[in-house]
Amino acid sequence: MPLASARPLARPFRLDGRLALKLFVLTILGVLVAAPLLRILFETLDPDAIVAWSDVTSGRLSRNLLWLPLGNTLILGVGVACGCVLIGGFLAWLVVMTDVPFRRTIGLMATLPFMIPSFATALAWGSLFRNSRVGGQTGFLEGLGFAVPDWLAWGMVPTLIVLIAHYYSLAFTVIAAALATVNSDLVEAAQIAGAKRGRILMGIVLPVALPAVIAGASLTFAGAVSNFAAPALLGLPVRMQTMATRLYGLIEVGQTARGYVIAILLIVVSALFLWLGNKVISGRRSYATITGKGGRAKRFDLGPARLPLFGAAAIICLLTTVVPVAILIASSLAPSSSALFSSWTLHYWTGASDPSIAQGQVGIFSNPFIVSATGLTMALGVAVAVTTTIIGLIVAFVLARDGKGLLAGTINQISFLPLLVPGIAFGAAYIALFGAPIGPFPALYGTFVLLLIAGTAYLLPFSVQTGRAVIQQVSGDLDESARMTGAGFLRRLTAITVPLASRGLAAGGLIVFVKIMRDLSLVVLLFTPTMPVLSVLAYRYASEGFTQFANAITVVILVISIAATLLANQLQAKSQPWLKS
Amino acid sequence: MDKKTLLLSTALVALAFPAIAQDQDLDSLTAEELLPLAQAEGTVTVYSFTSRIAAVEAAFEAAYPGIDLIGHDMSSTEQITRLKAEASANIASADVVYISDAPVVFNELLGPGLVTSYVPLRVADLLDENEKEPLLAQRLSTKVLMYNEDANPDGAPVSNLWELTTPDWTGRVIMVDPLQRGDYLDLMTEIVLRSDEMASAYEAQFGEAIDLDDGIENAGQQFIVDLFENDLILVSSTDDVNAAVGTLGQDNPPVGFTSYSDRRDNEDEGWALQVANDVTPSNGIIFPAVLAVSSSATHPAAARLVIDFLMGDDSETGGAGFAPFYVAGDYATRSDIVSHPDAVPLDEFVAWAIDPAATAEIRQDVGDLVLSLQ
Repeated sequence: MPLASARPLARPFRLDGRLALKLFVLTILGVLVAAPLLRILFETLDPDAIVAWSDVTSGRLSRNLLWLPLGNTLILGVGVACGCVLIGGFLAWLVVMTDVPFRRTIGLMATLPFMIPSFATALAWGSLFRNSRVGGQTGFLEGLGFAVPDWLAWGMVPTLIVLIAHYYSLAFTVIAAALATVNSDLVEAAQIAGAKRGRILMGIVLPVALPAVIAGASLTFAGAVSNFAAPALLGLPVRMQTMATRLYGLIEVGQTARGYVIAILLIVVSALFLWLGNKVISGRRSYATITGKGGRAKRFDLGPARLPLFGAAAIICLLTTVVPVAILIASSLAPSSSALFSSWTLHYWTGASDPSIAQGQVGIFSNPFIVSATGLTMALGVAVAVTTTIIGLIVAFVLARDGKGLLAGTINQISFLPLLVPGIAFGAAYIALFGAPIGPFPALYGTFVLLLIAGTAYLLPFSVQTGRAVIQQVSGDLDESARMTGAGFLRRLTAITVPLASRGLAAGGLIVFVKIMRDLSLVVLLFTPTMPVLSVLAYRYASEGFTQFANAITVVILVISIAATLLANQLQAKSQPWLKS
Repeated sequence: MDKKTLLLSTALVALAFPAIAQDQDLDSLTAEELLPLAQAEGTVTVYSFTSRIAAVEAAFEAAYPGIDLIGHDMSSTEQITRLKAEASANIASADVVYISDAPVVFNELLGPGLVTSYVPLRVADLLDENEKEPLLAQRLSTKVLMYNEDANPDGAPVSNLWELTTPDWTGRVIMVDPLQRGDYLDLMTEIVLRSDEMASAYEAQFGEAIDLDDGIENAGQQFIVDLFENDLILVSSTDDVNAAVGTLGQDNPPVGFTSYSDRRDNEDEGWALQVANDVTPSNGIIFPAVLAVSSSATHPAAARLVIDFLMGDDSETGGAGFAPFYVAGDYATRSDIVSHPDAVPLDEFVAWAIDPAATAEIRQDVGDLVLSLQ
């Protein structure tokens, strides 16, 4: 250690190199993350725009602009967090700690819903439950003759259900990982002492898992408050606005100042709850010290409850994965969603223009615009995966090898900032910053570059995390020895870390690819007709009432996403210890 | 991709000066003379406020092989936002702008020079002055009260707009959110502008003079407040309104404000939409659908060819280019295209013709009123 700290003094050149590297990283993060956010803040402080603050927070419009949407947003956030922790925690407990049958399958299926875009689940919900309140095609259940009440077809209840079905896998992953670390010695000691199952659960398992439960709750909360697709598709017909849908509406009709104020407040709400979550976890840090790990504990014997619990888990998994996908496929083939399984046609996939169907829209594969959008979306996914993995790796490398000091602290904070910023607010910030030329640089609005850098910045926290994980796998000794022989930063990164960590990096990159493929909230404002991305096209078809086309595009997204996810799971198999028997 | 855009915009800047001179020449060319230039350009991008652009695309590409028409169906509100954003970013996406929302278009697109006027010479004499100035109007479109003629065989169930605020119609009036679609905000604005007529209609309906709520300035605003409080249903597209009002076999269908011309889809969609024309003081608004060339058009010849095509040919019904619009409820601006035989003749139609300038003045205030009611 003394050697390490003395070295910079002995070789000032090295110090400069490190400092330069840090400044370089800081500049990148500043442009990608800090600048857009500062820009929308300054935009609302402009003398002409500052009145937007009082319009939004206290004027006669404030009730509809802010307070009602804020109330809905918080109900969604809290409801989704509770639901996700309950369902995700239940499944994690079954898979990790009990002798329930088909544990591996349940474990795999419980991670899939997060890869199904939330707008796909929302569309599937509509295909089933849509009633005649707003006219148009009714859903399958009304087609069967059931009267679907408004509260089940539209508004808060379906939005909650759809979001829980989407986000619970996030809670599952976090909680399952924590449960896998429960020290079996403790459990066995309790068993020997004669503790009942319930007491072991409450006294040992739950406290150990508590930080994960809170992490799961705050992550799903943040996801739910920023989600745009589900409330937009299911809530607007009954005038239920969330902050995300209000923000979108304001920007779309050109009331940008009011929109930016909503965006800033949405970031504050989201950040506040994530911060609270962290606060609680750090207060409980003592539990995290129980890390010494004995042999795998004997699994809980579920006894007669084994099959009923398996049934419950299977139903949850099927309802959130297979059923929505099947409905989407069926409804992309059926002319009427009230008769999902009859008179199937490929018209919506490959048909030519027919004036009597959907105003003469051609099938999606016959529409060169959609075909090029597919290529563009995949290219975007790949490009973002590459850039964000590279930047994430560099940031993680800098933090891991030299993580002390003010600069490193700032880098750390900024790189996780996008986690607090809802995608739609991020989109708004990027338009504000890059919508007009800056000095010698041309405006980026409507270009591939804008989508690329916005996507890169948005997913940076994720790729930094991946980067840290893979760098920790590679022993620091290797890096040290290379540095002793005089290898520079780039050479060490490319000759040692990257080759050794390539599997983990590829898996992380694939997940980034999927996140971009299925993202709607980030790109919905950045969309331009010159840069069409699939998710926005699907959303637009859906809001025009052309459900089949929307569903067909969504199926395309799904197929690509699920293929990439399964590939990533293959690469990552080692990092899911709870799947081992 | 980014390189391509960069190259394209550089090329644009280089071409800008000759292009201005060239544009004036293009304005005087006939369709035959435009065709080879347009074919050399190869493609043309149209922002359209109607989904009928898909039918126009098929007809245009059949008439002029070798030119790829790319149609984007976007609401007028969204077109305006996008065109402004694209202009401040210096990118050129649209060639042709086909749009309603004239009050905003004149102020925010034509005023700052984002779009330019083009009137094909061959139709200039067939149009009224206000249909060529400040922009070319292709047809008149509507947002009027429609009902289900299957459930109401004896005619419209409503004869006075104020009936819509009574318990008979609670939760049974449907329209598109005026904050999402400018046409509907124009409708709300026109109701406020016509407050005197609304006040006398109130007396005709209820037999007493109207009593305004606190903070409400006139009968038009009061109507909007009462309508929203009567559980007005807001949806996001006119097709949702059409299906709710028009679907066959309903016992007690709602009424709604939508485009008269959507009656054309009755047969294909299983609707029974009909216009309520016998309504005091009016059934809604009639307004121009305008065509303009984007000032940053990269395919200026093809853009003009599309506009020429959309103005129809010299036959009574306007031919292939006008065919998607030759329907009951759309009124051609060309004096030589006869009204659709199924439609209420234009001079018997009670809808208010909007005044774009007056509308533009109070539109934002009416929008804020609507926002406070949602």
